[in-house]
Amino acid sequence: MGADVELDVLSLNAWFGEKQALKNINIQIPRRTVTAVIGPSGCGKSTFIRCMNRMHELIPGARVAGKVLLGGEDIYTEMDAMDVRRKVGMVFQKPNPFPNMSVEDNVVAGLKLSGGYKKGELGRIAEKNLRAVGLWDEVKDELKKSGASLSGGQQQRLCIARALAMEPEVILMDEPTSALDPASTAKIEELVQKLKAYATIIIITHNVQQAARVSDMTCFFYLGEVVEFDNTKALFEAPKNPLTERYITGRFG
Amino acid sequence: MKTRKTIFLNLQDSVFRYLLIAVSVTVVAFFLAIAYVLVNRSAPAILFNGWGFLSSFAWNVSTEAYGAAPAILGTLFVGVVATLIAIPVSLGISIFFTEYAPRRIRFYLSIFIDLLAAIPSVIYGIWGLWIIAPLLKTYIQQPVVGALGFIPVFAGPAYGISISLAVFVLTIMVVPIISSLATELLSRTPPSLKEGMISLGATQWETVRHVGIPFARLGIFAAIMLGLGRALGETMAVTMVIGNSYLWPGEGVSIFYPATTITSKIASELYEAFSPLQLSSLIELSLILMAISLIINVSSRVIIGRIAKRGAY
Amino acid sequence: MGLLSRKAHDKAARGLCLLITLSAISPLIWIVASIIANGASAISWEFVTSLPKPFGEGGGGIGHAILGTFIINALASVWGIPAGILTGMYLSEYDRSSRLGSAVRVAVESLAGVPSLIFGIFAFSLIVLAVRHYTALAAAFALGLMMIPLVAKATEESMKVVSDDIREAAIALGIPKWSRTIKIVLSIARGGVLSGSLLAFARISGETAPLLFTALFSYFWPTSLDQPMATLQVVIYNYALSGFDDWILKAWGASLLLMLLVLSINIAVRVSTRQKYAEGA
Repeated sequence: MGADVELDVLSLNAWFGEKQALKNINIQIPRRTVTAVIGPSGCGKSTFIRCMNRMHELIPGARVAGKVLLGGEDIYTEMDAMDVRRKVGMVFQKPNPFPNMSVEDNVVAGLKLSGGYKKGELGRIAEKNLRAVGLWDEVKDELKKSGASLSGGQQQRLCIARALAMEPEVILMDEPTSALDPASTAKIEELVQKLKAYATIIIITHNVQQAARVSDMTCFFYLGEVVEFDNTKALFEAPKNPLTERYITGRFG
Repeated sequence: MKTRKTIFLNLQDSVFRYLLIAVSVTVVAFFLAIAYVLVNRSAPAILFNGWGFLSSFAWNVSTEAYGAAPAILGTLFVGVVATLIAIPVSLGISIFFTEYAPRRIRFYLSIFIDLLAAIPSVIYGIWGLWIIAPLLKTYIQQPVVGALGFIPVFAGPAYGISISLAVFVLTIMVVPIISSLATELLSRTPPSLKEGMISLGATQWETVRHVGIPFARLGIFAAIMLGLGRALGETMAVTMVIGNSYLWPGEGVSIFYPATTITSKIASELYEAFSPLQLSSLIELSLILMAISLIINVSSRVIIGRIAKRGAY
Repeated sequence: MGLLSRKAHDKAARGLCLLITLSAISPLIWIVASIIANGASAISWEFVTSLPKPFGEGGGGIGHAILGTFIINALASVWGIPAGILTGMYLSEYDRSSRLGSAVRVAVESLAGVPSLIFGIFAFSLIVLAVRHYTALAAAFALGLMMIPLVAKATEESMKVVSDDIREAAIALGIPKWSRTIKIVLSIARGGVLSGSLLAFARISGETAPLLFTALFSYFWPTSLDQPMATLQVVIYNYALSGFDDWILKAWGASLLLMLLVLSINIAVRVSTRQKYAEGA
């Protein structure tokens, strides 16, 4: 395993009760890149990234087998689940800022609610991360307002800032723009490439063009298996697998 | 590798979880403890009084002869009759609320109903005792006794304070309980069912009668059981207006006679009970009340469960 | 049935329901009016701040009962509300479907249906008989126990309504469960928890039966928690049944005060809950 592999996935299998959702996944996500995960509905993309931060196992009846190495350690057997989630952040499809907290408090929620930080520190951290997602100028006069009072696109950027504030190694994004309008979508797409300076990004998208626009690597899932995983440019210009070609040209899914 | 921080956080989580479990288990323990304590404290009386306790109409402290029959019969009579009268009244209110009341007054109407339920029972008691009793006596009881007093049910003398007054006050107290639940249930009738009826030309009343109420009947049944449970357990209002006497029904069945319920007997006698057997007998009475309550609670749940399983609403 | 006759039925039904509703509401108005009419004249500075005078003398007051009511209610709330919240929290966040959770739920439901008299007897047997004297602590115990199912239900229901999306966000941040439960879910649900607690407080303020077997009554200022204590409710009960005009008047006065307390809490909660819906919370 090279020093530039962030996540080393080895023989990963996952089930919902009897139904197998992921079949023998073996891939290596390179460090500080943006990897897009594409595929038709039900192909296992969501299950896959939820296995990266140990959220899949929270579903009643769910099961995981295999290894996922983060920095050489298996997140399942060698790390505590809470630690994994602090190092592997997540942004969800529907923006979910905490409505009972201010904008500022939302950004640092992960730090504040786990304790151990001084009040002054948190203000600086909030500002730093709001700037990083391009929200600072828009909300700097409304820091004390509820997180839920922002627009949809702003809320999602707030959620990204919240994940970023944990200084994670990896940020998982589950179709972060599918619930947003085109203008907000564009802003977030711009942001995704910038984010790789801070962490490795894995982004699920059902929009193939979006994948082509924002990612360095692309991973095509179908029926719970990885069909193709390659450099984005290469995958889109000369897909090696006929299935991949059919999907990206829109002939199914 | 587990960082120190997460070890500490996991510890916090465990402590908190055990705290919640401890509190919840304690709540269960209290419930069981109530049953245990009641049985334990009434044991001497149970052994002494035997089965005759349920059928005897006497209560004599000096001869230590204790009987629960008038109290049990009083509780059942007052509770059941009050609930029966409350049912059409509550449904009338609920139907008015969901079908006929203009939107604007619905909020105020619901507050009124809630306030009726919120009035402390001791206040119902003082109102029943000093306002209603004299009126009842003069304008209703005495005339009826005069005209129909030869019928045992209406025999005099009429004091105002009586089992009928208890029924009156209790009915008012039970109505808001059934009504607020029934209103919620009726308002949840699926609009599609209602629209179906209306498109067939049904009147509002017909819609409620043939769709609304049948749809909600399980919940309404539950509400009625809840009201009945409350009526059986009501203490202060009943104690203050029922007269506390073993006259009814042992020596006469007139609804104008003073009577006793389990709750009124205990409330009026417990704190001056000096004989251990008297005290134990009173607690035996409360055990009977608890048993009646539980039976109503459990059986209504079983009935609801059975009907629900059959696929009806 | 002819159409005219069906319409007549409908109108009759409407009229009947209106009549029923009016007649059901009128007791409320009648009661409130009676209490105000009879009790207002009893209210005075002396009434609210002094002790009862020896029997036969006029004047005096029920200051000790007002204080007693608040002391006992406060004590009951201090343990009843937190216990209720913790139980509700457990049912909502920690245990929606295991055996223990079901047992707790059944216990809470059953406790809610137990007549208040039984709580009084329970506290009487457990505490009063053991220490051989009536004590306000037993009253606080009984009333607090009565609050638990009310507060637990309100808490569980308010917390259950919080969207799972929020919980997922908190889990994904690696926040410990206790922190997420209290600082996020409970915080979002706090309106419902507060309403439930206030209503529970109003409810026990109206309960008298448990007091008769625990705190009983007193004619003096409370000097210790471990002794009998007067309360508004028992004042009303004792004085109303006394047959002495002066005392009956005082019972009306006490009723007025008690009614103000209970109704104002109830109205405040209903109004504030409605406002929440109006703003689309």
